[in-house]
Amino acid sequence: MEWNFAPVLGGMDLLLWGLLNTLKITGLALAFGVPLGLGLALMRLSTLRPVSMVSAFIIEFFRTTPPLVQLFWFFFAFPILFSINMTPFTAAIVTFSIQSSAFFAEIFRSGIQSIDHGQWEGSKAIGMNRNQSLRRVILPQAVKRMIPAFMERSIELLKTTTLVSTIAYTDLMYQANDLAQRTFRPLEVYSVVALIYFVLIFGFSQLSIMVERRLAKSGEGTVG
Amino acid sequence: MPNLAKERWVKMDHNWDFATIFQNWRVYWVGLQGTLLMFGVTVTFGMFGGLIIGILRYIKHPVAAWPARVFVEVFRNTPVLVQIIWFYYAFPVLTGIETSPFQAAALGISLNTMAFSAEIYRAGIQSIEKGQWEGGKAIGMNFAQTMRRVILPVALKRVLPALTNRGIEVFKMSTLASVVAYVETLLQAKLIADLNYNPIESYTAVALIFFVVLYPVVQGTYALERVLNRSDR
Repeated sequence: MEWNFAPVLGGMDLLLWGLLNTLKITGLALAFGVPLGLGLALMRLSTLRPVSMVSAFIIEFFRTTPPLVQLFWFFFAFPILFSINMTPFTAAIVTFSIQSSAFFAEIFRSGIQSIDHGQWEGSKAIGMNRNQSLRRVILPQAVKRMIPAFMERSIELLKTTTLVSTIAYTDLMYQANDLAQRTFRPLEVYSVVALIYFVLIFGFSQLSIMVERRLAKSGEGTVG
Repeated sequence: MPNLAKERWVKMDHNWDFATIFQNWRVYWVGLQGTLLMFGVTVTFGMFGGLIIGILRYIKHPVAAWPARVFVEVFRNTPVLVQIIWFYYAFPVLTGIETSPFQAAALGISLNTMAFSAEIYRAGIQSIEKGQWEGGKAIGMNFAQTMRRVILPVALKRVLPALTNRGIEVFKMSTLASVVAYVETLLQAKLIADLNYNPIESYTAVALIFFVVLYPVVQGTYALERVLNRSDR
């Protein structure tokens, strides 16, 4: 068995283009997923029972079904049901935004719940209503505690985006399949692609460990 | 006008037809068996293998600790789909051993699970107070005995919620085996969708199958966590 990396190096521009698309999907899904997750968390914490039940159902449904099934549903079923055109790109953004929002919602919820009840009472005492206390007192503290869990979820999301290759969106994984088939060099192509993912994800993980240590020093432990 | 708007947005006239799904229940059943087999194999290897690697990492074994660390980092920091595809297309070229779709997917998911569960076990063992080790030693137990009789029972109880969460992830991960054409629930749903042109019902059915199987399990883990929290106090 001889290793030959020339075909991989020749296709490096394709792989980098794929990597860019991977990051694009991850970034957009985060941009939509985080606010959506906050919304779901606030709904779940609502004192109105129907509101919290609807939110709990959405969260549980998207947490208990496999992301690949969700992606297929949004790509193959959703467009027929709602007569909307879905490109692989939009299907990916919709799926991963909603899927990750369900997980972000749980992070927000445990973050908000971890804040001592006295903080709510204190802000009420100085005349803030629920919204004001949430925005000015509770969330700033809760968000700081959530950062490690939040980063871990973002890394998971980055890994999950490889699924878009199955509906033919040109992310890094798709480009790898394409290049492997054209060059007949699956070993080199997939090994290099695994390495690219490793460097990227390992880098992010190390960063999140650093952030976690700094937060621990400043007296803000991780939410369990 | 209102009708027009309705038609553009929602195909209210879509006839949900689950009859073909029920007619083809055997196809889904075969798929679900494939899913359960994949889950059973990968969760077993993943959880037991992870325990060994976790302990090797904890005791800082002079020879094995470093490879164990590399193994854990590699499999935790690459996407599991890349691992499955690597074992299916690249591994045979490297070793000359052909891997079936089942073997490739089982290898990828098992090794991935081993890496994640190893870190869970390690954290659990590290969370045990030093005094427990000293106590075990004081009454004459050696390392292995203390580990098995004193440390692990407590550590395992502490990490049980994290392990069950991992198990749920593994169950969902089994759908990735469809990418290398291993026969499991999602692949069977795709088959039905392609044959009967009913992707809506077919994919909705898979989502429901997973929800119905996993929802009680998830609720169970919440209950478990509450019980464990209470018994710790």
